[in-house]
Amino acid sequence: MAKQKKFEIFPIINIIILSLFGVITLYPCLNVVAKAFSSQGYVISGQVYLLPKDFQLDTIKYVLTQPEFLNAFKISVVVTIFGTLFAMLLTVLTAYPLSKPSLRGRKFFLGIFVFIMLFNAGMVPNYILYRSLHLTNTIWALIFSGAFSVFNLFIVKNYYESLPETVEEAARIDGASNLVTLFRIVLPMSMPVIATVTLFYGVGYWNNYFAGVMYITDPSLKSLQQYLYDLITLAMNTTDTSGNAIMDAESVANVTGEVVRCATIVVSTVPILVLYPFLQKYFVKGVTIGSVKG
Amino acid sequence: MQLSRTKSTAKNMTHKKPLSAYLKQNYDMYLILLPGLLFILIFNILPMYGILIAFKDYSMFAVEGSPFLSVLASPWAGLKHFQKIMGETGFLYAFRNTMVISVLKIVCIFPVPIIFAILLNEVKSNAYQKGLQTIVYLPHFLSWAVVSGIFVSLLGSTGSVNHLLEAMGFGKVSFLMDNNIFRWVLVFSDGWKEVGWSSIIYFAAIAGLDQECYEAALVDGANRFQQIWYITIPGLMPTIILMLILRVGSIMDAGFGQILVMYNPTVYETADIIGTYVYRVSMGQLNFSTGTAVGLFNSLISLTLVVSTNAIAKKWSGKSIW
Repeated sequence: MAKQKKFEIFPIINIIILSLFGVITLYPCLNVVAKAFSSQGYVISGQVYLLPKDFQLDTIKYVLTQPEFLNAFKISVVVTIFGTLFAMLLTVLTAYPLSKPSLRGRKFFLGIFVFIMLFNAGMVPNYILYRSLHLTNTIWALIFSGAFSVFNLFIVKNYYESLPETVEEAARIDGASNLVTLFRIVLPMSMPVIATVTLFYGVGYWNNYFAGVMYITDPSLKSLQQYLYDLITLAMNTTDTSGNAIMDAESVANVTGEVVRCATIVVSTVPILVLYPFLQKYFVKGVTIGSVKG
Repeated sequence: MQLSRTKSTAKNMTHKKPLSAYLKQNYDMYLILLPGLLFILIFNILPMYGILIAFKDYSMFAVEGSPFLSVLASPWAGLKHFQKIMGETGFLYAFRNTMVISVLKIVCIFPVPIIFAILLNEVKSNAYQKGLQTIVYLPHFLSWAVVSGIFVSLLGSTGSVNHLLEAMGFGKVSFLMDNNIFRWVLVFSDGWKEVGWSSIIYFAAIAGLDQECYEAALVDGANRFQQIWYITIPGLMPTIILMLILRVGSIMDAGFGQILVMYNPTVYETADIIGTYVYRVSMGQLNFSTGTAVGLFNSLISLTLVVSTNAIAKKWSGKSIW
């Protein structure tokens, strides 16, 4: 009988443990949202938990009317769209020859790509290159530094390899060139992987703050993530020399800062949330496409 | 992680045409390859020449207006910068912290997605499974700048965690500025962001296990725990070991993107890693030669680690990252 009872209790304990995962994941997010809509007094005294206290929309409105914020948002949208297009074009093209076992020199070319995936010249050599090419403080720095991931290249290459060769053969017998075959036959058959990799690049561009930190000092070219980076590190560095003793004094000085930071975080995450259903579907697919390939 | 099976057997099938005939029919393949090759030539291969800086006393203005030509014009320094960093406390801290933070992350985070996937698989309700997955995958899509902002706000002196601790009579904890605690903030926030996402691969592996084993076990009267212990976990072992090997290969990256936007000078002693050290030395102090030397040291170790762990994985399971 005792055994029988244990058997029934397990699902309940299991659900409790799993729900705890869900709560721990959700709470920090909901807390920031609640703070973004609460009045400052409650926020700086730490009293806001799950629901806004003294609900207000002024901070969100304030963020949405900040010219620096709006400009950063615009830069992020432009970089994400054009960067993703550029990266996708390079990726779908490059992956095609590499997917053909008959390509002469294939091993050599694959070797180069594996090598650059494993070995990066480093921060300073990259910076010097961008400076020499006069790319620093241009939008191109943001586009080029996120373009072309070897990881994504290999996902697309593996997908091409899994397509049936016969259709392509038929096109070639009809006299189609390789380029025409790629665009007319192969790409239409590769839509799932193209959707996945497009989203990989898109999220990568949208979330990248480091390219901006490295290559952009011009305020009018800062992306949203760099804007957030500045906001967060500024908040922490006003406390850095003071340490614990002056922490409370600092938080008083940062009264406006805290709510504005939360509101900025919330607003800048909205595009990801809007796209999340697609992202989840195709990203999960991407993980499986990458791993199931045998 | 992209895994592809090695397939040496399939290679002998291509019957070779003479090169000229091949090129006549397929020259456009190389034209298709060209943009990608040009791009990595400029942005990945060309900078490797800049590694010379590690062996020189680099001055960006040695040649007027060309930081690139300045590399050649700067005087040689031999191994001076490498010798110098070996005695630098900042570097030694960074090296130690990289190891400590990576190991903490592996020990504390690596098992969690496995446990999560196993438990989630035991849930009967499909709607609950889907709903929970939607929640726990979400943080993966947030940038480190956003996640850092969330945790700074949550754990700061005015955050709700400290408010709760105070209300319970424990007093405030300075999570972000205590050298002993901040590492745990790094571990926890990394887990918070990636655990759900990492569980996908295990969840898929469990779904791929032979269902007949479970049916047979059920007939033999095995309970849930026995099924998990004797069927699910052994079935997952190949995936677990492969993921662990690959994770160990990337031990030199303790989370640069995370730490750069989360740490502050008070916790440099325990949270500064090689990547952030290189960033401050190069871009903050403009000590380009030292920064490049540390970066090169780091890249070489991590290259060796990734290549050898990948070779182990390949030998062990026939799968590899490339």
